[in-house]
Amino acid sequence: MLERMRAVARRAARQLAHDRRFLGLSLVAPLLIIYVSKAALNSLNTGFFDITRFVVPVGAFVVHFITYILCAIVLVRERTAQTLDRMFVNGYRQADIIGGYVMAYTCLATVQSLLVLTALRMLFHLTYALSTLLSIYLIVWLLAVISICLGIFVSNFARTEGQVFPFIPLVTVPGIFLSGLMIPVESLPRWAQWLSHITPLYYANQIIQQLIRPGSALVDNLPRLAALAAYGVVVLVLAMSTLRESA
Amino acid sequence: MPEVTVELDHAGKRYGRIDALQSIDLTVGSGEIFGLLGPNGAGKTTLIRLLTGSTAPTGGSVKILGRSPKSVRSQIGYMPQAPALYEDLTPRDNLAFFGRAHALRGLNARVEELLQFSKLRERGDDPVYTFSGGMKQRVSLACALLHRPRVLLLDEPTAGVDPRLRADFWKHFRALAADGATLLISTHQMDEAMLCDRLAVLSDGVMLACESPKDLIHRGRTTIRVWRGADVNVTKVENYRESLPVTLRQYNLDASVTRIEIEQDTLDQVVLRLIEARHA
Repeated sequence: MLERMRAVARRAARQLAHDRRFLGLSLVAPLLIIYVSKAALNSLNTGFFDITRFVVPVGAFVVHFITYILCAIVLVRERTAQTLDRMFVNGYRQADIIGGYVMAYTCLATVQSLLVLTALRMLFHLTYALSTLLSIYLIVWLLAVISICLGIFVSNFARTEGQVFPFIPLVTVPGIFLSGLMIPVESLPRWAQWLSHITPLYYANQIIQQLIRPGSALVDNLPRLAALAAYGVVVLVLAMSTLRESA
Repeated sequence: MPEVTVELDHAGKRYGRIDALQSIDLTVGSGEIFGLLGPNGAGKTTLIRLLTGSTAPTGGSVKILGRSPKSVRSQIGYMPQAPALYEDLTPRDNLAFFGRAHALRGLNARVEELLQFSKLRERGDDPVYTFSGGMKQRVSLACALLHRPRVLLLDEPTAGVDPRLRADFWKHFRALAADGATLLISTHQMDEAMLCDRLAVLSDGVMLACESPKDLIHRGRTTIRVWRGADVNVTKVENYRESLPVTLRQYNLDASVTRIEIEQDTLDQVVLRLIEARHA
């Protein structure tokens, strides 16, 4: 099984390397969004409003958003081109395909997360300690991997690339409004507080808000980290159990 | 008696309120080339997808080599209607990728062998998106043949392929059948259908006929035109094997007959008539 998973990963990575426009866009687009968000956040930085609590979560959101969309579209493309069908008939299984994609796109997400955090640090002059930056990196990276699984999961409900688009706001908008990124979760109505648990950004934002506080370390946030990892496992299992052969 | 490799027993497929296939009974043996004919939407692709195990029947049963298609996928070679290739990769990469699923020994040598077969060795390192439709079909067929399957399911394999290469394809299909492989081929090309051992004619998910091309043509009509100078006498008969001698005898073929023309319905016409009769 591992051999077949590696075959899918190698093939997906090779496709990524060949499609330079796709690769370039997936690395440059997050940086452009970060740059635009800097302009927006700077305008809020009036002294009464502390933007530091927004900076890293916005970066995390951008990585989540881009990785999720790219992965969903790529998987739907497999379905419409009938290569997914062909993979199954040739003996590749759900776990091989999803595992392979997660492996290949994790490489992309690793570079993407690194670029985004470097851009945030330079543009917003973040002065966090190296250990804090590494912890934040781990969270953003984990969020990216979860977003890959989420993209694969959502792609199972779309037959065409066009059908992916309605799913984009369905996943990303709750991320913006319910995760605590813009509005503290405690000030939301009870039903919305409950709903906030469906977005991975909620778990990531909780940890990031703790990490950017002086004196806080990742070891103090292990339960939250476990919740984020558990969310990833649930999405991965859902993606595997819903990946179907026929459109 | 050849071994039965493909078996459908009252197999049906329903999508919502649409019956894509209705109670199909069919057996195909090893070494047989079996053709599927019918207009678009007749159920040919659905039938092939039932046999690949990509979709489950909603009625009856489907067996390949006596088992469910999903459990014998290592014995199935499948060529979908679309090329179903990774177009930004090379044919070599595509073949190697699908070959890895079968954990083939000597995969590289097999890939080279199939590149040679598909006459694409020189283009083996070019991305597939630079290929013509026919070249993509060749790569797609090569992918289906990689693991030397016992059952080949080919959905319009020669669409967009030039006549010379089509002839090559069919030479290879014959060779595979001679080696004991079962080939199930959907096609719209009547000249290709004539090369099959047996044909099934499908329309609206119903199997209208299942017999050899010769027997199918026998179902058609034969037009006999007998000239005596400028006068022409036209007769149409069915079952020409039995009725042609009887009809010709009635003409009293003496020295006044200047010309005789016997025109048999083509396979195309027979198939069309079968479909029209169902809709009538």
